[in-house]
Amino acid sequence: MKIISRNLLLFALLLFIYTVLFRFGLGSLLSAEKWAWVIVIAVVYGAMIFVTAWMTGKRDGINNFLFDAGFRWNLTTFIVWGAASEAWFLLGFQSAHETIRVVHITLLIWSGFLILHFILFLILRKRTIKGVHKTNIFE
Amino acid sequence: MKTDDALHQELLSAWEETYKKGQLTLWIFLSLKEGPKYVSGLQESIERFSKGTIHAEEQSLYRTLRKFYHLKMVDFSAGKGHKGPDRKYYHLTPLGASLLQSFVERNIQLFFEEPLQELLLN
Repeated sequence: MKIISRNLLLFALLLFIYTVLFRFGLGSLLSAEKWAWVIVIAVVYGAMIFVTAWMTGKRDGINNFLFDAGFRWNLTTFIVWGAASEAWFLLGFQSAHETIRVVHITLLIWSGFLILHFILFLILRKRTIKGVHKTNIFE
Repeated sequence: MKTDDALHQELLSAWEETYKKGQLTLWIFLSLKEGPKYVSGLQESIERFSKGTIHAEEQSLYRTLRKFYHLKMVDFSAGKGHKGPDRKYYHLTPLGASLLQSFVERNIQLFFEEPLQELLLN
């Protein structure tokens, strides 16, 4: 039972790659003023994160019985997305249409949801024994 | 329209399917009560005890035993394999043994007492 499992690390790596590709695509499309494509690329990026999180989370659940109510995946997404986005700006890769303020506001709002998610996890953790959900102990 | 025999068989299968869910723990515990076992041995004894009605996949057993080990219900010691590397021989811990005893007393023994025994056998 691992908090940082192989599936979580795989998710973090793929998310980092997606984010770099998304940032690159977003910057290019904004510079070219192709606004409609910005929505398309954002939806594709979000969908890819969702599918990857769902698949790696499901695989993780097979061998890792630690109950976390999905919090580890949410926190990982927050950290990787935040770090990659901050680095993108620090390295000066952003387009003229992007400001770091958007990243900061997103992280601020997201951190609120992250806290709510953590509280939910703490509430649901009462239904576990040594980190294993009671309904998942006996098969 | 289904014949009574076909309906009987279908209902029985559906009932057994539901009944078997949640049974694996009991079969694992009973097999380990017999003595320490490695995973393949455990798989064989579950099939033997249940007269072939319960089949547990090896992966499923490994997963379950890891969980039980984490919850301190089973422990293991290394033992000789037939030809290959050492195997993990699982056994019940005192917690696992007392848990099995309590479960049997509360949920199984009543089937051996009147009037249930008579109802079951007649």
